[in-house]
Amino acid sequence: MRLLIVEDEDLLRAQLVKALADAGFVVDSAGDGESGLFQARECDYDAAIIDLGLPKINGIELIKTIRQDGKNFPILILTARDNWTDKVEGLDCGADDYVVKPFQIEEIKARLNALVRRAAGFSKPTLDFAGLSLDTTAKRLSVNDEEVELTAYEYKVLEYLMLHPGKVVSKTELTEHLYDQDYDRDSNVLEVFIRRLRQKLDPDESLKPIDTIRGQGYRFIVPANNVPANKV
Amino acid sequence: MFQPTRSKGPYSLQTRLVLAFGVLLILFLGLAGFVLDRAFKESVAAAVEERLQLQVYALLGVAEPDEEGFFLPDLEEARFSQINSGLYGFILDAEGNEVWRSPSALDVNLEEANFMSQDVAPGQTVFGNMETPEQGSLAYADYGTYWSSLDQEFSFIVLESVEPTDAEIREFQSNLYLWFGGLALLLSIAQFLLLRWGLKPLQQLAMEVSSIEAGEKDQVEQGYPPELEAVSKNLNLLIKSERERQGRYRTTLGDLAHSLKTPLAVIAGIVDQVREKNQANGADGKTELLELDEQLERMNQIVSYQLKRATRSEKSRHLGLSIQVLPVVEKIINALQKVYLDKSVTVLRQLQEQAVFHGEESDLMELCGNLLDNAFKYCHGQIMVKVSNQDSRLIIEVEDDGDGIAEQDREWVLQRGTRGDTLKSGQGIGLAVTVDIVSSYKGEISIDKSELGGASIRVSFQV
Repeated sequence: MRLLIVEDEDLLRAQLVKALADAGFVVDSAGDGESGLFQARECDYDAAIIDLGLPKINGIELIKTIRQDGKNFPILILTARDNWTDKVEGLDCGADDYVVKPFQIEEIKARLNALVRRAAGFSKPTLDFAGLSLDTTAKRLSVNDEEVELTAYEYKVLEYLMLHPGKVVSKTELTEHLYDQDYDRDSNVLEVFIRRLRQKLDPDESLKPIDTIRGQGYRFIVPANNVPANKV
Repeated sequence: MFQPTRSKGPYSLQTRLVLAFGVLLILFLGLAGFVLDRAFKESVAAAVEERLQLQVYALLGVAEPDEEGFFLPDLEEARFSQINSGLYGFILDAEGNEVWRSPSALDVNLEEANFMSQDVAPGQTVFGNMETPEQGSLAYADYGTYWSSLDQEFSFIVLESVEPTDAEIREFQSNLYLWFGGLALLLSIAQFLLLRWGLKPLQQLAMEVSSIEAGEKDQVEQGYPPELEAVSKNLNLLIKSERERQGRYRTTLGDLAHSLKTPLAVIAGIVDQVREKNQANGADGKTELLELDEQLERMNQIVSYQLKRATRSEKSRHLGLSIQVLPVVEKIINALQKVYLDKSVTVLRQLQEQAVFHGEESDLMELCGNLLDNAFKYCHGQIMVKVSNQDSRLIIEVEDDGDGIAEQDREWVLQRGTRGDTLKSGQGIGLAVTVDIVSSYKGEISIDKSELGGASIRVSFQV
């Protein structure tokens, strides 16, 4: 999951970047509203954390502009101003949730996961497909009620595919959302991950959960148990 | 003894004007009455003297001396001949012996008369008054004359009762009192009406200011007399600058919150990092970190709670407006629906349009935000919001279908003065802030069991 953090306090931004990168997010960050807007326009993000008190362009304006640009990724507001006037204004102008400073990093992680999942149309923290169940809170996969071990990168790939079921996801898109920009984008590595995932998800090759569309990318094609109709 | 402070303060304008005008009225009418009375009495006295002088001349004209004294054959004035008529004539010689008295004066005793000892030069008249037991108060004219045929000086004296002139004066005086009394009454009424008319703009101004204080008005209207126009203009400026000052104050405190909370967030992050490092190294120190966490949380709650209190203005100092309640409630519900999307909460509404709140919009926002946030947080899927204006009270009721608040906890939860630093960790300051806002507006708050099954919190304010 590629994440944008816009926070002007250097220490706090560094903490957030580290904690969320450790949690498996690919994190970009900006120290003011202007560079935040530049980043948001440049990249395709899965979610953003935006502080309301930002230099150059304030948080509210930044969120408004991002929404006007047609970007729909979920936005989590960070605010020191714990009053309803500010919260309502932030949510009103296009943010999806808020966290009041100071906060526990665990809370930010939980909120972000929920926002990403919700944006994909899932209302529960567990993504249920026929025979497959991915617990996004505990980051665990069960196949036919049996837990299956996944590496961090395997989990990331699977989660991304499961959050976009039925949609063709290109290798470039996957790389962009799963790796840092300076990472060597070797598509062979991705192919290896997909092959391993197929083995783990479907050892007897009866389900065939991931489709390869030649020249375009991959598609997760297992019928979902709890996906809204418009998302399939 | 205790005296209400008001009576010790400066006199009201009305009192000042009434007092000043009253004193002036009494002085003016009293002085005028005194002067008129004096003038009338003097003119009456002059008339009496003139009459007496004429009577003296009348006696002189008919007086003829004989051996025994004087003989006055035909007195034209009948009252000289009628006994005790009130007009009496005497002639005395130079030694003061009586030489003649008019028939009317048969009963008059002259022994106590002081003019008996007077020596009046010929051609002179002396006027005076005397009291007699039988004839009452008498005015007299004593005229000295030299009778050449007798080579002797005589005094011709005429006395007249003052009874009729006294009656005349009394009547004049009672007329005077009547007229002046009427005049005083008329002037007092005129003064009352004038004062009311003159002070009316002041009363109007006071009423406008109190309605601004009650939040019904934004500023003082124009159209006052020139003297007050300056006051009303300055008042408007004051109100405006007061509002701006409140705004600045709030912004400053908001900035303070911002600048305090970001370092708190950083410290919390560092604690997390240290914890992870310790875990990686297998070192202990968990309890210390937990305590640090707890203290951070407490600091945060204290800062939040006190800043919320400080940024809220006191009701008594409000120069606020009437706020429509429904748009605020809808805005908050919309925002919360977003935050609690996973719960897919159904919000039932019983909202009376035109319901208004007198005070700061931010206070209403805070109040509704906290009540609704609690309802969204603790409900299982249904919320009921009721807003109405009843019997000049604004009533806001928020109910949910959650587990509710146990009866024994309700009083404790609502206790006024539950301070931020005595709150238990994780309890949240939402309800404490709500209770604070309600009490600062002198409203009421109560907790009940909702028909939906959960808690029902009811807040009401005087409108």
